[in-house]
Amino acid sequence: MLKSCLRGLKIYFYMVGVSIKTQLQYRYAFVMNILGWAMTYAGTAITMWVMLYSFGSIRGWTFWELLFLFALAVLSWSITMVLFFHFHNMDEYIVEGTFDRFLVRPIHPFLHVIALKFDVGAFGQLLFSIVAMIIAYVQLKLNWQFYQWLVFLGAIIGGTLIQGSMLVLISAAAFWTTRSERLFWALMWPARNLMNYPLTVFPRFIQLLVTFLLPFAFVNFLPALTLLDKTKESFDPFWGFFSLPVGIAFFAICFKIWNLGLDHYKSAGS
Amino acid sequence: MSLIEVRHLCKEFKIAKRQEGLTGALRSLFHRQYTTKIAVNDISFSIGTGEMVGYIGPNGAGKSTTIKMLTGILVPSSGEIRVNGLIPYKERRRNARQIGVVFGQRTQLWWDLPTIESFELLKQIFQIPPDRYRQNMALFNEILDLDEFLQTPVRQLSLGQRMRADIAAALLHDPKILFLDEPTIGLDVVAKERMRSFIREINKNRGVTVILTTHDMSDIEKLCQRMILIDKGQVMYDGELTKIKETFGKTRILIVDFEENIDDFSLDGVEVIKQEGNRRWLKFNREVHTASQLISQISEKYEIKDISIQDPEIEVLIRNIYEHNYTLDQVFTDKTRI
Repeated sequence: MLKSCLRGLKIYFYMVGVSIKTQLQYRYAFVMNILGWAMTYAGTAITMWVMLYSFGSIRGWTFWELLFLFALAVLSWSITMVLFFHFHNMDEYIVEGTFDRFLVRPIHPFLHVIALKFDVGAFGQLLFSIVAMIIAYVQLKLNWQFYQWLVFLGAIIGGTLIQGSMLVLISAAAFWTTRSERLFWALMWPARNLMNYPLTVFPRFIQLLVTFLLPFAFVNFLPALTLLDKTKESFDPFWGFFSLPVGIAFFAICFKIWNLGLDHYKSAGS
Repeated sequence: MSLIEVRHLCKEFKIAKRQEGLTGALRSLFHRQYTTKIAVNDISFSIGTGEMVGYIGPNGAGKSTTIKMLTGILVPSSGEIRVNGLIPYKERRRNARQIGVVFGQRTQLWWDLPTIESFELLKQIFQIPPDRYRQNMALFNEILDLDEFLQTPVRQLSLGQRMRADIAAALLHDPKILFLDEPTIGLDVVAKERMRSFIREINKNRGVTVILTTHDMSDIEKLCQRMILIDKGQVMYDGELTKIKETFGKTRILIVDFEENIDDFSLDGVEVIKQEGNRRWLKFNREVHTASQLISQISEKYEIKDISIQDPEIEVLIRNIYEHNYTLDQVFTDKTRI
């Protein structure tokens, strides 16, 4: 078991290394990609600032707190993109028959798909989120204690897993319907926009939905409560500790569903 | 026991019926109706080590579906498959190590990478020992001249080069069995010949069992001793290629150009099957008449300008089988069809 995991990791890193090399071949596209993403997110941040300039605050959240909330979501999303973003192409792999090719190789097709690409372009967002995070940290005069750094780390890993699992879940739809790209835009984009704001501005049922069913609240909102010492919200900051376990559990569920989809694909074809 | 055993293999697909109009589309969201399509219907065969078998049939006959089940991509609806003792859909990964697959229409190489990178990736994925890898690469290089394009990205390769790279990639991990789906499709004559001689070579020298699907009957004639012919998911014929040719070689066609137009041509044992100007196509049975006999008989009565003899092509025979939905026994008894 351990041996086959190590072997899988070795194959993963080798394939990912090749993917990085390929992307670096197109140097111009590579640089533009990074710059483009960084600019896009900076643009959103500026819009947010303009809005807050006239409103003052949203539900007790100041501009710098909102920037922090936003940057935390972008941070884990950028890692998700690096690792998982190509899952939204699953339908292409299936329709074009590329997926069959993965199945005649002696590794798990999930490993094959995830190792196909390592999207270095997404580092632009990572860059933005780190800079934004540092500015917000200084402006808010935060001084995290050790447990808060752990929550922060848990939010990054857990958030990456939660959003990555969403992509895996959406890609699994392609096994049944041979379409997943549209589902990606219909689900992932609204969900990500939702995360730019404190969850408490939304109706109760949405709050419950993104806490218990599709646990986006654990990506940034709940850990931000802990990290910003916000105790006057309807959620207890205590929830922020659970990003990592929730991420792991959600990933396990989505991976299971992906495998069910694979079984369906094997019996029904495309 | 033979290398590949297929017993009463069936595969059914459920296809969702499309309903018309907007209301139909809405209704089908909640309540779908399915039609069942039987792609493979009770197929049985066995293939021994070192054989080279042509698996042929028209589009939609069930060829690809069978290959997909043999390679472990699809799970059969019923029936049994053993590939070198393994059940492909249950032990897909172990099975993958003992088979090589080439889908002629699409490459299994990494599109954006220099060709050599695909080989290196496969080396990692299949965990090919470095020595084995080096030996194989050296050999394939020698026969297929891979060197000339190893540094070129796959997307820039010509079709012939890509097929050479693809077949080398499929053989890199020393598979026992090679599945070739349309390996010569779209290739020019020279590239086709090269591909065929490579397939022959690895079959002969390495003992690799080859299963080949193709639409090009000359692939079959030049490569395979045995042919499995399927249509509508069923085996129509399974046996030697030469047997078909011998049986059908019984009827031959004599093409005669006469000096002048003849309206009332007739001769015993000869049937005029086509005419065009002064040219006649005459069908006869080789076992009853010899060609020279006929020619002398005809030349006694008429002035002949030119003459040629045609053997029926395997392609014609197969087309007949498909068009008339015959089993081979029927074709053998009804010889007037050719």
